Amino acid sequence: MDWNLSDPNKVPEQISVIDQSVQEDIKKNVIFTTLNNMINWGRKNSIWPFNFGLSCCYVEMATSFTARHDIARFGAEVIRATPREADLIVISGTVFRKMAPVVKHLYDQLLEPKWVISMGSCANSGGMYDIYSVVQGVDKILPVDVYVPGCPPRPEALMQGLMLLQEAIGREQRPLSWVVGDQNVSQVEKPSQRDIHNATRMRTRDLTPPDRV
Amino acid sequence: MSQTSKPDLFGDIKVLLTAASLFEEQTMDEIPTLWVTAQYLQPLCDVLCFKLDQPFDFLFDLTAIDETTRQHNVIPHRRDFTVVYLLRSYARNQDLRIKVALTTDAKEVASVSSIWPNANWYEREVWDLFGIKFTDHPCLRRIMMPTTWQGHPLCKTHPARATEMGEYSLSDDMRDLEQEALKFNPAEWGLKPQGNPDEFMWLNLGPNHPSVHGVFRIMLQLDGEEIVQAIPDIGYHHRGAEKMAERQSWHSYIPYTDRIDYLGGVMNNLPYVMAVEKLAGIVVPERVKVIRVMLCEMFRILSHLLFYGTFAQDIGSLSPIFYMFVDREKLFAIVEAITGARMHPAWFRIGGLAADLPKGWDKMVTQWLDYMPARMADYDQMVMRNSLIKKRTVGIGAYDTATAIEWGVTGPGLRATGFDWDLRKKRPYSGYENFDFDIPLGTRGDSYDRCAVRVEEIRQSMRIIRQCVHNMPEGPYKADHVLTTPPPKERTMQDIDTLIPHFLGLSWGPVIPAGEAMMEVEATKGSNAYYLTSDASTISYRTHIRTPSFPHLQMIPVLAKGQMIADLIATIGSIDFVMADVDR
Repeated sequence: MDWNLSDPNKVPEQISVIDQSVQEDIKKNVIFTTLNNMINWGRKNSIWPFNFGLSCCYVEMATSFTARHDIARFGAEVIRATPREADLIVISGTVFRKMAPVVKHLYDQLLEPKWVISMGSCANSGGMYDIYSVVQGVDKILPVDVYVPGCPPRPEALMQGLMLLQEAIGREQRPLSWVVGDQNVSQVEKPSQRDIHNATRMRTRDLTPPDRV
Repeated sequence: MSQTSKPDLFGDIKVLLTAASLFEEQTMDEIPTLWVTAQYLQPLCDVLCFKLDQPFDFLFDLTAIDETTRQHNVIPHRRDFTVVYLLRSYARNQDLRIKVALTTDAKEVASVSSIWPNANWYEREVWDLFGIKFTDHPCLRRIMMPTTWQGHPLCKTHPARATEMGEYSLSDDMRDLEQEALKFNPAEWGLKPQGNPDEFMWLNLGPNHPSVHGVFRIMLQLDGEEIVQAIPDIGYHHRGAEKMAERQSWHSYIPYTDRIDYLGGVMNNLPYVMAVEKLAGIVVPERVKVIRVMLCEMFRILSHLLFYGTFAQDIGSLSPIFYMFVDREKLFAIVEAITGARMHPAWFRIGGLAADLPKGWDKMVTQWLDYMPARMADYDQMVMRNSLIKKRTVGIGAYDTATAIEWGVTGPGLRATGFDWDLRKKRPYSGYENFDFDIPLGTRGDSYDRCAVRVEEIRQSMRIIRQCVHNMPEGPYKADHVLTTPPPKERTMQDIDTLIPHFLGLSWGPVIPAGEAMMEVEATKGSNAYYLTSDASTISYRTHIRTPSFPHLQMIPVLAKGQMIADLIATIGSIDFVMADVDR
C-alpha cells in the first residue's frame, strides 16, 4: 500500500497525491455487483458439509478431507455434526431400505439453502447392488444436485463434483428474503459432463501400459 | 488347512449319544461334518462345550441353507432347510461342523445361545433371513431387515432384485411410519423395567453419529453419564451380499467380496477364491501365493493405519490421522500401480491373479518400506506414548481371553488378551509357513492393547512384504487348470476342443463341482471365512460369509456396562469394525 506523510503547510499540493492513493484503495477494496451475486459468491465458497457417511465411499470422502487432497482449498472443510448447521449432504455410499427413512429425515433437517451430492454408483443408481435391501439411487427419496460416478470415486472425483456444485451455486437465483424479489429458486442446468468432455477424452492416445508402474 | 485331526473324536461323542442320530458327511474342506436330528442338537452341543476334556468352546459360525432347489449331491438326511453350526476347539486346533435338517412345516430348532452366548445374534440372523425359529431364544427379532419387512430374504422363494419388487418411494407418511418402527421400545427387546422410570435416561447413539464408524446404532440406558445397559442395533448396512452370490457367476462375484470389509480390499478376495479353488481342486503356483500374501499384507497395513488414525481421533487427538492418510496415499499409489485400483481392486482370480506384477514394482515397494519406519516412530510419540491417550485407554473396555472366546472375538481383539492364536501361524495358508514374522500379543485386553497389537502388526506386515520383495518366485501368475478363470489364453487357438471350454469359461463362467468348502483367513479385523455350497453350476448355491466384526459388535453390551459414554467411544474405536463387515 502506498502511503505518505502530509505536511500541513503544503496541503493544497498534496491533495491530488492523497486522492490518487484513495482511488487505488477503493479499486482494491470495493466491488460493484448485484446483491444476489454477492451472496452466491459467499455461499459457494463456504459450503459446510454434514458429517454423514454410509459406506465405502465415505472412506474416499474422508481421504479428500485429509492432507494430500485437502478439501479446505475449496472452502468446504467445516464438517458439521448436526444437519441444522450444514448446507451440503454428500450421500457417500449405499442407501439401504432400513436407512432410507433416516437419510430422508436428516435431509429434511438441513436448513435451506441446501444441496446434495450423490457420491458413487450405489447412491447414483444402486450400482452393482440391485438387491432387495438397497434403494436404487438416492434420487428416489430426495433431489440430487451433482452425481459423482465411481465405485468408489477417487477423492479427486469428489472434489470435481464439489467444484461443479460451486459453479452451479454461483449461477443460482434465490429469493433474497420472503418479501424481496421472485420467490422461486431457479433451476440450474445439469449438463452431462461425459457429453462435454467426451471428444477430448477420446483423443487421448498415450496411456501408461499395465505392465509398467 | 492343517488341523491336527483327532481320530477318536467321534468315538468320544458316540459314547455319550446314541449312534442312531449321527451321520457323517464328507466335505471338500475336510472338516468333520455331522448330521444330527433336531432333538439331539442341544444335548450334543452341551457335551461338546462343557463335557469334553478339550471342549469345543468357540462357536465360530452359525448359518442356514435353503435346500429346496438342490439338484446334485444327494444326501438322504437333507430336508428343506439345513442349519449349520461350525464349532472350534482352540485346544485341539480342530473344527467340527454340525448340521440339522428341518422341513418347511417345522422350521424350528432349539436355541444354543445358553451354551454359546454369541449364538444370540447368529440365530436372530437366521430367523430374519430364513424364517427358522429358535425355541427358548431370549429375544428372537429381526436383526438385518427393518421390522416392517415382509418375508425372509434368503429363502429361494424371496425375490433377489430390488427392481423385481416394484418402484421404491418414500412419502413423508411412509418416512414417519418407518421412523416410528425404528423407535426403541425396551419391552420389545425383552428388557424388564429396572427401578423408577425417571431414574434413567435412554440415549439413542446412531445410526448416524460421527463416532460410531458408519451406520450403527446403540441404545444406551444411562444413569447420569454412566451406562447401565447398551443395546446395539445393526442391519442399516445390509447389502444382501449373500443373496447376490446366488445370481453372480463364481468369477463375477469377486468384486462383491472387496466390499465386505471395505478397508480390506483384496484381503476379502483371498478366502473366497481359495474356497472356490478348494472346491475345484486347483493348486496355484508359488508366485501367485507370494503375490497374494504381499497384497494382503499391504491392505492389512492400510486398514490398520486407518484404524490407528481414527482411534486417536475418537479420543480427541485430531492430528495423527492427517499424517497417516499421507502414508495410506503413498501405499495406495503402489496398490494402484499393481492392480489399477485403490480401495476395491478385485484383483485375485480363481486359480491365480488378474495380471502379473508390473515392471518396477519392487523399487516402489522398497522405497515405501524404507520410508515407513521413521513415520511409525513418530506415531509412537504422537499416539502410543501420549499420556492423555494412555489415560483414556489403559484399562478401558478390557476383557479376558475366556470372555473373548465366549463372544466369538477373533483377530487383534483376541490377541490383545494375550491369547496366541493367529491363523497364519496355526493353520498356515497361501504359503505363510515360509515367512518369518512374529505374532504381537497384549496383556491386559484393553483398548490400549488392542491398538498396540495392531501397531506392531503393521511392523510385522512390513517384514512380510520385504520378504516377498526379496524372495519373489518366478513363474506363471495363473494355475494351469481347466477351471482357472479366465482360463489360460495360450491354448485357445490350437483346436476347437480347447477353444470351446475357454469360451464357456469366460462367458458363462466355470462350472464348479458339487460340494461345499469353507476357507478362512486372518483378515484385517479377525477371522473372515467364506462357506460355499456348490450345486454343480456356474453360480454358487449358497455363499455364507463369516465376518469378524459381527460377533465383535455383539460383545459391546458386555464392555459398555458401567462405562462412561466417553469411554464407550474409546472402546468402540478400539474394536475396529466397518459396518459392511457386520451386516454384509
